[in-house]
Amino acid sequence: MGKLISQFAILVASFFVLWNLFGRVDWMKILHVEQATQTIEEKLGEKYWEIFKSQEVEIVDKSLDATMDKLLNKLCEANKIDRKEIKVHIVDNDEVNAFALPDGHLVVYAGLIRDSQNEAELCGVLAHELAHLELGHLMKKLVKEVGLTVLISMTSGNHNPEMIRQAFKALTSSAFDRDLEREADIKAVDYLVNSDINPEGLANFLYRMASAEKGIPDQLFWLSTHPGGEERSKDILAYVETKEWQEEFVLTEDEWESFQIEIAAY
Amino acid sequence: MKLSSTFDYAPMEHEAERASNSYLMSLIAVMGGLPLPIVNLIATVIFFLGNRKGSYFVRWHCTQALLSQISLLVINSVSFWWTISVFFQDGDISNQYISYMITVLLFNLVELIATIYTAIEIRKGKHISWWFYGDLTDMICRK
Repeated sequence: MGKLISQFAILVASFFVLWNLFGRVDWMKILHVEQATQTIEEKLGEKYWEIFKSQEVEIVDKSLDATMDKLLNKLCEANKIDRKEIKVHIVDNDEVNAFALPDGHLVVYAGLIRDSQNEAELCGVLAHELAHLELGHLMKKLVKEVGLTVLISMTSGNHNPEMIRQAFKALTSSAFDRDLEREADIKAVDYLVNSDINPEGLANFLYRMASAEKGIPDQLFWLSTHPGGEERSKDILAYVETKEWQEEFVLTEDEWESFQIEIAAY
Repeated sequence: MKLSSTFDYAPMEHEAERASNSYLMSLIAVMGGLPLPIVNLIATVIFFLGNRKGSYFVRWHCTQALLSQISLLVINSVSFWWTISVFFQDGDISNQYISYMITVLLFNLVELIATIYTAIEIRKGKHISWWFYGDLTDMICRK
């Protein structure tokens, strides 16, 4: 019996020793795992944006872009996010919606900008979408809902329209897991606090959306893809209470008003 | 693994065939393209139960094949669920994950080679007792 126990111990130990030895090798680098993921994401981002551009009208306005850049630059600089990797697009659509696409595409609908009551609310939504991008939630959601095989075949020139339509729908009009949403909310609060932007803006926006949901459901796309607004709003406020922060406005009052006037013209 | 010719008696032709088949059962399940690690075990268990009233030689080898499958089931199940979590949940591909998969692959490969070799030798009527599993089988399998 003693011999058996020692043999079993050797067998188990040999497994862990081997695992440990292999673990000393940097497989991620040798197998180019990160580059491969990056390439897939870049190709998917291109493909998604191509489809999206053919369906919607992007607003190209230097003044609006400059204001949006100012807000994003503040968030990115304070959180060491490479601003060049984020491609922001303002879309001429009345829906209250914003979402991120693979490879750093951040799509914000004009309706959402118009609905934001102050820069803190808009920055809250931007920070939340940035968090989804930085935490790698998009690829996780896509793999889960569409499947890895479909994604790889999309990047390798498969142009099956139905497949692409399903993959597009998965990202733009269905919800993330509650856990991923919560994770993105927490990260967004950290981003906002680091940027000296009022983190309560995100909670206020979510709460307002949740309260208005029954009235005009068709317009509130951001809420339908980001469920549990009221509960999440409370969670965000509870987390904010644990943080120390000071508010510094990114835009002057005049700049915010002009931004709203300009976007209302579309 | 050790090659032993000291089994209690010389097995008959049909016994050698049945004992050899117990090792082949798990291989057939793998070749059939069944990805779940539990399938190998189930295939071996079914064969084990089907032969529990067989001769000592047949039962002995069915038991050894079953025991080796049980230990593989543990490490293969971990790799299966770890992979599920990497691709469908919050897990990430990491060095730890890749090195675990390589280790599991090596253990499976060793087991695969040992299984094929054992199946062939036993079919010839020779007795093969594996390191650890052979002693464990001696303890469990009654004459």
